[in-house]
Amino acid sequence: MRKLYTGLAWTVAGAVVVQAAAIAFAFGGMLNLVSEGGVVDKALLESFQAAGVGELGFMIHGLVGAVLIPLIALTLLVVSFFVRVRGAKLWAAIVFGLVALQVTLGFSITDVPYLGLIHGANALAVVAAGSVAALRVRRGRKIDTAERADTTDAADAPPAEGASPDAVAA
Amino acid sequence: MPSRREVLRRAAVGVAVATALGAGALAWSSTLLGEYSVMSMGSGQDGGGQAGDGHSGHAQHSGAVGVAHGASGTFATGGDVSVTSLTADPDRPADVEVELTARQETIDVPGGRAVEGYTVNGSSPGPELRAQQGDLIEVTFRNESVTAGATLHWHGIDVPNAADGVAGITQDAVPAGGHHVYRFVAEDAGTYWYHSHQVSREQVLRGLLGALVIDPVAPADAAADLDITALLHVYGGQHTLNGRVADERIDAPPGSTVRVRVINSDQGTAAVWSDSPFRVIATDGRDINEPTDLRGQRLLIPAGGRADVAVQAPQHGSAALHVGGARRVLIGDPEASVPSIAQPSKSVDLLSYGAPEPLGFDPSSPDRSYDYVIARRFGLIDGRPGNFWTINGRMFPDVPMFHVAEGDVVVMRIVNESGEVHPMHLHGHHIVVLSREGTAASGSPWWVDSLDVRPGESYEIAFIADNPGIWSDHCHTLPHAVDGLVAHLMYDGVTTPFTIHGSAGNQPE
Repeated sequence: MRKLYTGLAWTVAGAVVVQAAAIAFAFGGMLNLVSEGGVVDKALLESFQAAGVGELGFMIHGLVGAVLIPLIALTLLVVSFFVRVRGAKLWAAIVFGLVALQVTLGFSITDVPYLGLIHGANALAVVAAGSVAALRVRRGRKIDTAERADTTDAADAPPAEGASPDAVAA
Repeated sequence: MPSRREVLRRAAVGVAVATALGAGALAWSSTLLGEYSVMSMGSGQDGGGQAGDGHSGHAQHSGAVGVAHGASGTFATGGDVSVTSLTADPDRPADVEVELTARQETIDVPGGRAVEGYTVNGSSPGPELRAQQGDLIEVTFRNESVTAGATLHWHGIDVPNAADGVAGITQDAVPAGGHHVYRFVAEDAGTYWYHSHQVSREQVLRGLLGALVIDPVAPADAAADLDITALLHVYGGQHTLNGRVADERIDAPPGSTVRVRVINSDQGTAAVWSDSPFRVIATDGRDINEPTDLRGQRLLIPAGGRADVAVQAPQHGSAALHVGGARRVLIGDPEASVPSIAQPSKSVDLLSYGAPEPLGFDPSSPDRSYDYVIARRFGLIDGRPGNFWTINGRMFPDVPMFHVAEGDVVVMRIVNESGEVHPMHLHGHHIVVLSREGTAASGSPWWVDSLDVRPGESYEIAFIADNPGIWSDHCHTLPHAVDGLVAHLMYDGVTTPFTIHGSAGNQPE
């Protein structure tokens, strides 16, 4: 479970990097389109052609941002309840909260462009929170193992992850 | 060997996960629509009494969608009048007979590159149909090769319901090799267009459309010297004007007036502006009373909407009317070179444009009052997850059904609580704007069939229920309709034998 948690947390952080790359690519395509005499308007936007070669960037940004990352963040939150490391649940919740905020901001940018300022900054917060969650749980594993070693009565020891193949593999 | 506690814990987790997955699967499958009739959508609101009563209907939503049995065309016919019987006089001979043939093929885009799409009589846009007010138009529509089936919807013309061309509501989609006859009287002069209303997000986007102009019997006093159509459409990322990636040059003598009929067949708002003064003389096929010259302002035309604009040819050179951002209509000396001008940021407010005149009915004590509140949230539609549009807080198909009786005066409050503009299009009727955010309309009656409602805006509109049938009331940014922004106006006692999905493969959106 811990391995899964760590993997999911890193994936959230990594997916944000994909988001940054995709949106830069998309706007690059749009500027390229305009520089070659093209006109970007609502008609073009709604027919999914507004970014020329960069259109794929918008699609990736939309799909990863509105579907993939929220699903991973949700899974991370669920998985965190099976990970016995202090802070695992808290950090999964923080990641999920920041992602929820990020998605809401993303969908509101058209209406209130200034939210883009927060959307960009919050993206870094998601990366940071995802990384902290991943690092904490990876480090937490050692602490947890050390705590368990102190417990003399093995039968009463919290079984948890000690019995799972994940921990054994570590 | 795991301890008993561990076994118990694992069993508990297993049961919890299995229950969660089961519940999830159940919730997901309950959103699958299968074959259904629009008659069973959401639950009715009667909107009875005075304004505000429409709210009470919210609690009545059943959330259920009836499951149709048998093939499309055999669904429940218990009501009094079938949509198929709501036709133009069958005994009256046609004044205008047209054959339109749809094909799935490569569209030649002069001035640009060819794209895959749909043509009508070999081109896209299809031929411009022209008739005189009062004519009975009979169109024989043949689908030669559109594999998903196709229909023709007469956007903006208040046709009899049977001729509305909405697959799954007023007819079955015409399969490849099939044909369908549309008959309707062109009651109102003006600028309209036709397009497929089967898989419309795809077929309209890819060109199954054309212009339709109804000339008045008696030309108005201010009749223009020249009358031209400017149909806007984006083909594969290329902005076109009447199907060409080029500006339109109109050779007009100095001082002459040109009526430019701008048709926005795209998915988003189009702007129209000029550095010469221009007048908006009609919106959506309804004349504006006493229009005035506009300078330094732009006119915004909603997706699906039309506007007739009058421009005078200058004494020297050409006047440039920018239409839809990328193209222009150049009016005057065809040899003149005209620089592009930047789009003004100020928009004409049609709420106060022109001079007031009587509406012809009294909307102050309506027979029905409804709310149409647009918002957005995450959920499932037909098993598909996404961030979908909601109407009055409910997601498709659990959206309101607006019940009316013939002769009712209906008032509707359209509120956009989402972050994007929605061009709301009501079939079969023209609506008049009463107020926006509480500010009453003070100009010429603003009659439309397609109305842009911007984020945070709230419009109060009214219409007379004078055209029995079952009519779509949807967003004309067509992907939004696919994502749930479609409701229906249902006349008492009218039923449809057609179903959505099912054997005919009807998918109106």
